[in-house]
Amino acid sequence: MSLLRIENGSFAYRSGPQTLKDINIELEPGEILAVLGPNGAGKTTLLRCMMDMLHWQSGRSLLDGEDIRSIPASKLWRRMAYVPQARSAAVSYTAFQTVLLGRSSRIGAFSAPSEADMKAAEQVMERLGISHLADKPCYAISGGELQMVLIARAMAAEPEILVLDEPESNLDFKNQLIVLDTMTALAAEGVACIFNTHYPAHALQRAGKSLMLSKDGRSVFGDTTSVVTEDNIRRAFGVDALIGEVETPHNVMKNVVAVGITEEKVPDAPCEKDKDILASVTVIMRSNERASLINSAFRDYNHLLIGRMGLPHRKSEKYIISVMLEGPAADIEALSHRLSLIPDISVKTTYEQEG
Amino acid sequence: MSLRRDGRLGAAWIIILIVLPFIAAVIALGIGRMSISPGEVFDVLRAAIAGKHADSELIEKTVMQLRLPRIILAVLVGAGLSVSGCAFQSLFANPLATPDTLGVASGAAFGAALGILIGFDLIGIQLMGLAMGGFAVALTWLAGSGKDRGGLSYIVLSGIMIGSLFSALISFVKFAADAESQLPAITYWLMGGLDKANYRTLSLGAPVIIAGVVLFMLIRWRMNLLPLSDDEAKASGVNVRLLRGVTVVAATAITASCVSMCGQVGWVGLLIPHMCRMLFGNNHLSIVPASVSFGAVFMIIVDTMARSISAAEIPVSILTAMIGAPFFIVLMRRSGGWRI
Repeated sequence: MSLLRIENGSFAYRSGPQTLKDINIELEPGEILAVLGPNGAGKTTLLRCMMDMLHWQSGRSLLDGEDIRSIPASKLWRRMAYVPQARSAAVSYTAFQTVLLGRSSRIGAFSAPSEADMKAAEQVMERLGISHLADKPCYAISGGELQMVLIARAMAAEPEILVLDEPESNLDFKNQLIVLDTMTALAAEGVACIFNTHYPAHALQRAGKSLMLSKDGRSVFGDTTSVVTEDNIRRAFGVDALIGEVETPHNVMKNVVAVGITEEKVPDAPCEKDKDILASVTVIMRSNERASLINSAFRDYNHLLIGRMGLPHRKSEKYIISVMLEGPAADIEALSHRLSLIPDISVKTTYEQEG
Repeated sequence: MSLRRDGRLGAAWIIILIVLPFIAAVIALGIGRMSISPGEVFDVLRAAIAGKHADSELIEKTVMQLRLPRIILAVLVGAGLSVSGCAFQSLFANPLATPDTLGVASGAAFGAALGILIGFDLIGIQLMGLAMGGFAVALTWLAGSGKDRGGLSYIVLSGIMIGSLFSALISFVKFAADAESQLPAITYWLMGGLDKANYRTLSLGAPVIIAGVVLFMLIRWRMNLLPLSDDEAKASGVNVRLLRGVTVVAATAITASCVSMCGQVGWVGLLIPHMCRMLFGNNHLSIVPASVSFGAVFMIIVDTMARSISAAEIPVSILTAMIGAPFFIVLMRRSGGWRI
């Protein structure tokens, strides 16, 4: 049973065309799901329906198999937390008081925060590296800092699912990276994250799964490698884009470059990558902290594995894992992508030459 | 006395906030046409608590029958209007919101004016004020709710409309009133004054104000959720509709009770909460008790001036504005402003 599911969710505003049609998603603990789509395709509406702030007209959201509408609010919001867009957030309190508000569902109507609540808020701020902001009013800090405070407020509820509405919008390069790294780190600790974004590249670099919405109500959901493709971007955004790779000494990162606005209509035919190929993956870890994430990725794609070698390098206390794979190109790409999302490791995949 | 991180008041502030209204009350009990020293005031109070009569019957009567009910009323009205102003500012996340934002004060004033026109006694006027205040808010709620989107801003807008509707009705009552006797009475009543205070009117209005203030004191940490946007508030896991509903009902009941007892007293609900926000920030853990205490003290001072500056009593809302506005500007310039 998945942690969070949407079953056939549909929604339309009273005056307007169907915004969301038959949305189906599934999310497991520790996964990151990116929601992509052009302006007006209903990204924020999707999040609001999912959290029951708007009501699905048909379909439902399930948390551990239980309909979200039947879960009492105080229970639901201990398991799920919401990070609104920074520009729609209330900013009258100090950062510490704002974070403390994240504990609301655990504090009685006639009580004030206990020592334990205060400690929890302090710990969250320390974990996200924003302790120095504690006594500053939220209207006096930068946009990037406010976004981190809002994430801290959400994390103060100790949720299993974090829902972020365009967390990296309106931020500069460095702050985008800080916010995305925070999300990646939280996911590595087991928190499931859903975020809306305008950047397909951020989906490719951070999210294992993606949902791409089009303005006509259609949507694609699945592994990011199969969703964020040049074809789908053309269909949903009407933009000709190229997906390329940037190689660092440790990693290969995907990137998206928009080349132009699509002129002709795009055929609907999906292209399939089902040809079996050979590949090998090499992982180098500084410590075995991420071993369980790597192992669970290999377990999920067990059918591809034809050989495996793990090697602790005793002198430097580092680990090298090398894996040989055989299977459909799409599956191998998905596994390779999933590994590339794990923080703090070096990973590269070598594919067999075609033809 | 620096601010505490958790938003609670420090021990020094707690003592000040508790003691200050008592000091103000004892001093005010002695001030008036007949000057009474604090020592004599204490003697009268001690005798009254013990159930005995004081040495001087005149002094006892002045303190217990004339000044004390009036000071109790000042405390209730000051504390009540300040705390409802504070609640409305947070609820609407708008620094200009006042207890009258939903039209309640205009409604209550209309009810009272109508009561004077019909020729009711004080209790009748008070009851009319309460009823029409509640009616005005009900109208506002009917006009502003039931929309899918917009929510609070619709309610504020319809509150302004209902408020001006009742202002027009007040003008109509004045127009219809007898120019010799009723018109001055209505006009004077609308300017506000605590001179109608006696234990009978208090017994009708005080319980509502006390209940409202106590409620706000109890839920004051949770009131921090009021300025949040709808989605943020919902995501807190707290029943925000209930919280907002309780806030509106309590603040409305307090305001209607105040207006029905002493007319339209402006400024307190705007001035005192802002003063507290400048001093303590926006955390309701501190600004709710501070508003209660400072509101009471401010009203005692203003009312004492109203009844003792000149031989004829000065309407209290004239003084609240004349003292309030300059004081507010000085505070604002010193503290460098604030935000909700």
